[in-house]
Amino acid sequence: MFATTIVFPVFSFSEIIPRNLFSFLGTDSEQSRQNHRFKMILWFIIAGTKGGINRAKILNLIKDTPMNANKIATVLNLDYKTVIHHVKILSKNELVTKAEKDYAAEYQLTQIMKENQNVLEEIMQKIGTN
Amino acid sequence: MVDFMLAAVVSAFLNIGLLLVIIGTYLQNMRVIRSYYTSGLVLVAALLMLQNVVIVLFWSTLYMDDKALMMSADMVAHYLFTINVIQSIGLSILVWITRR
Repeated sequence: MFATTIVFPVFSFSEIIPRNLFSFLGTDSEQSRQNHRFKMILWFIIAGTKGGINRAKILNLIKDTPMNANKIATVLNLDYKTVIHHVKILSKNELVTKAEKDYAAEYQLTQIMKENQNVLEEIMQKIGTN
Repeated sequence: MVDFMLAAVVSAFLNIGLLLVIIGTYLQNMRVIRSYYTSGLVLVAALLMLQNVVIVLFWSTLYMDDKALMMSADMVAHYLFTINVIQSIGLSILVWITRR
């Protein structure tokens, strides 16, 4: 008599499915879920829009020292109006805030952006190597 | 009577055009940032475009020479029109977000 053999897949699913694929189902803490969502937003604003690369460069530039739009334009060699446009989009998405100074508004990172600077660094490394 | 089939075809070509804009933007970004995220965006947009091309091919096949087939295609053309227009609206929003 032939014994029926059950054939198992030669690969294990745990190897091809990313470990944290279902992390949104609630195994992680609220904090790490929020960080993950923020990461996705930042990735989309940088990698999924037309001026995204320049937006990443602006965020990277002002992460330590707040700067006004004119200075950002000079350092990054961009048009002043372009910088104003990017900064407007970034502040609408709560990544930078405007701090009123004597004569010109300076831009700096928001709290949530500061807390997730490692995501920005990760993206900047990818930009830098290509 | 409105020719739903013609409107649906126009809408399908509009979708293909919008997707070309989106893929172009994503490709430009992928050239600078190579990651699973940027390649995923390009792949999704490319598959959506393939879907629209196949829709156009499918409905043009129905209009080849069979009269009966043509009539039944006309009877359900408004559904195809609705599907394509909804997709056009969605893609227009995505283009607006992507290009601003």
